[in-house]
Amino acid sequence: MSELFVVGISWRTAPVAVREKLAFREEEVPDVLRGMTGALPVGEALLVSTCNRVEVYGVARPGQDPTGAVRRYLAEARSVRPADVADVLYDHRGAAAVRHVFSVASALDSLVLGEAQILGQLKAAYAAAGQAGTSGPMLGRCLERAFGVAKRVRTETSISRGAANVSSVAVELAARVFGDLTGKRVLVIGAGKMSTLAARHLYASGAQRIVVTNRSPEKAEALAAEIDGVARPWADLEGLLVDADVVISSTGAREPILTKPLFKKVTKARRWRPIMVIDIAVPRDADPKIADFDGLYLFDIDDLEKVVAANLAERAKAAEHAARIVEHEAGQFERWLRSQGVVPTIRALRERFAQVADAELQKTLDQLARREHTPAQQREAIQRLVQLVVNKLLHPPTAALREAGTPDEAALRAEVLCDLFGLEPVAGDGREGAEERSGRARRESSAGSAGGDAPVPPAAEPSGGKEREAAT
Amino acid sequence: MTPEGGDRLLSVAPSPAFWVAVALYAAATAALLVVLAGKGRFRGAAVALVALAFVAHGTDIGWRGTAHVHPAQSVREAMGFLAFILTGGYLLASARYRLTLGGAVVMPVALIMLVAARLSPAGTAPEDLGALGRIHISLATIGVGVFALASALSAIYLAEERALKKKKFDAVAFKDRGAPLEPLDRLAHRLVWVGFPIFTVAIVLGAIWVSKLGESLDRPEYPLAAVTWLSYAGLLVARQVYGWRGKRSARLTLAGFAAALAVLVIYLVRRMVM
Repeated sequence: MSELFVVGISWRTAPVAVREKLAFREEEVPDVLRGMTGALPVGEALLVSTCNRVEVYGVARPGQDPTGAVRRYLAEARSVRPADVADVLYDHRGAAAVRHVFSVASALDSLVLGEAQILGQLKAAYAAAGQAGTSGPMLGRCLERAFGVAKRVRTETSISRGAANVSSVAVELAARVFGDLTGKRVLVIGAGKMSTLAARHLYASGAQRIVVTNRSPEKAEALAAEIDGVARPWADLEGLLVDADVVISSTGAREPILTKPLFKKVTKARRWRPIMVIDIAVPRDADPKIADFDGLYLFDIDDLEKVVAANLAERAKAAEHAARIVEHEAGQFERWLRSQGVVPTIRALRERFAQVADAELQKTLDQLARREHTPAQQREAIQRLVQLVVNKLLHPPTAALREAGTPDEAALRAEVLCDLFGLEPVAGDGREGAEERSGRARRESSAGSAGGDAPVPPAAEPSGGKEREAAT
Repeated sequence: MTPEGGDRLLSVAPSPAFWVAVALYAAATAALLVVLAGKGRFRGAAVALVALAFVAHGTDIGWRGTAHVHPAQSVREAMGFLAFILTGGYLLASARYRLTLGGAVVMPVALIMLVAARLSPAGTAPEDLGALGRIHISLATIGVGVFALASALSAIYLAEERALKKKKFDAVAFKDRGAPLEPLDRLAHRLVWVGFPIFTVAIVLGAIWVSKLGESLDRPEYPLAAVTWLSYAGLLVARQVYGWRGKRSARLTLAGFAAALAVLVIYLVRRMVM
């Protein structure tokens, strides 16, 4: 049976210096995929190449293990010696591969637990494989299920909750105070890189007006232009503070610029409307004592880092729950896959039985319709019909049992039959054979045709003894 | 509150719905605590339990109504009604915000009030409350009920504010991610605005009623009721004139409510003793 497999490299096994050697550009992916399905024992394939991982998800051709070949293929496609990356590449097959795909989609395998990007990247990779014509039903089912699992993990656990970087923490904290940030005013003091990022984040969350002030007006103008804000002169600082809801400060000043005397005036003028000051400068721009004012919430870079750490710890805790969900879902998917393997057999078996039964039934009905029958004759016809159907159905397995090439083969077949039909054969006293023969005699003496039962070779008769041996 | 007289029972036995409500309140409290402990997926179930408790509580009040026990006929009944208002208000607010912490505070309070209202000794009925008495008790109940909601929000505000200010990022009040501070403060303030005129009319009617009955004015509940009124009056003035808000507002809201609660307790205790 064909089997899912994963071959890849990720941040867990290799530094970026190695990962980048195996990375593929988007436009290279279709050729790589088609190359793999063309040259290797790979039926379906998908390639996901992000900054944190390069992975091939595929379906092996029946009975083959393509992982070694895929490893070599990946390395050679990037002109890397396979031996150089042998230690950092990993592979999974079957249940482990399914579990891995589900984990990746749920961002359990991500550098930042619970991040949202990987799901989008996987979806894109799946779409690319579809366009390249290398995704098939099995990979499709696995990926679709993986997306479902990812959604379940996001909604049922808190793995994606809480900001995981400093600038989104600033937004999260501001939301704790103000709720909806729509229409809130942001003041950026200084023109540092971090404050730009945080201001952008606030703007994206609905904050409407961003004012930038800096000791050097040119820099303020430049930053304001960059983030869609307004530049204001440094001399207006006090008035700007009175108007602002969120202040992000990151100047290079050696001494605090947001001092207690300044805020004494500011908070009073604000009538104690809440204000959040995020001080990401080192040395700090804000005197820690200003936090004593009512309605003033001051956070420095350490606080933000602490929140990030706390959120990541929360995510790690949620990851345990998420892992259980993934485990459970992977198990279910495995069971489904296995059941898919036997579905055609079940269908064929049912069809064959129905065919035999229908054909014989039709014959009997035709016979009965031809002329009047007494009830006794009708009963006999029904008995015959049942006998015929049973015999016809039992013929192929019986023949296969008798014609088994070797004693071992015969024992194996007998065992399978016993297992399938719940039989408990008694060690051969010849009775079963006698019954069967008498049944045959009856049948042959009757009007209907038996439809070729095989002759009975005496050697194959008592399979029970052998079957017992095999079972012990 | 009322002169004693007559031996007509003031109350009837608790209805089956009361016991159901008690069980549901307890279950809702437990469920909210479980949610607080980090099992966020039970939040919906917890709120559903609160809603069911609210329905059972309402059924109990209705059942008493069919037995001619009016929700504002005595302080004891009024307290049960107050708990009902509290739960209803919480349900309304939780439709908008995630108030798990608030629920874990409000639900036990409502439970205790309901149990005290139903299981404390009823005493005997006053001869006649009169229309004035009934209106006074009704309005006072509604007014205090609204103040109770404002106080619950203020309590949550103070807990969240403290966690944020002290940067206790792992405190329950922080992790709960309940309502943000500014909207909490605004909502509590609006509730005080709603409750204050109702309570004012109740106080005035109460004063008229007492003077009509010719009772002495040296009972401790009267100055306490005045403290409640003054707290909320001061709160509204300070907000309007000086822009008081946040922590100070919240504390004053709680102080006013504490005085109102003291009045209720005095009434109840007097009823039990007399």
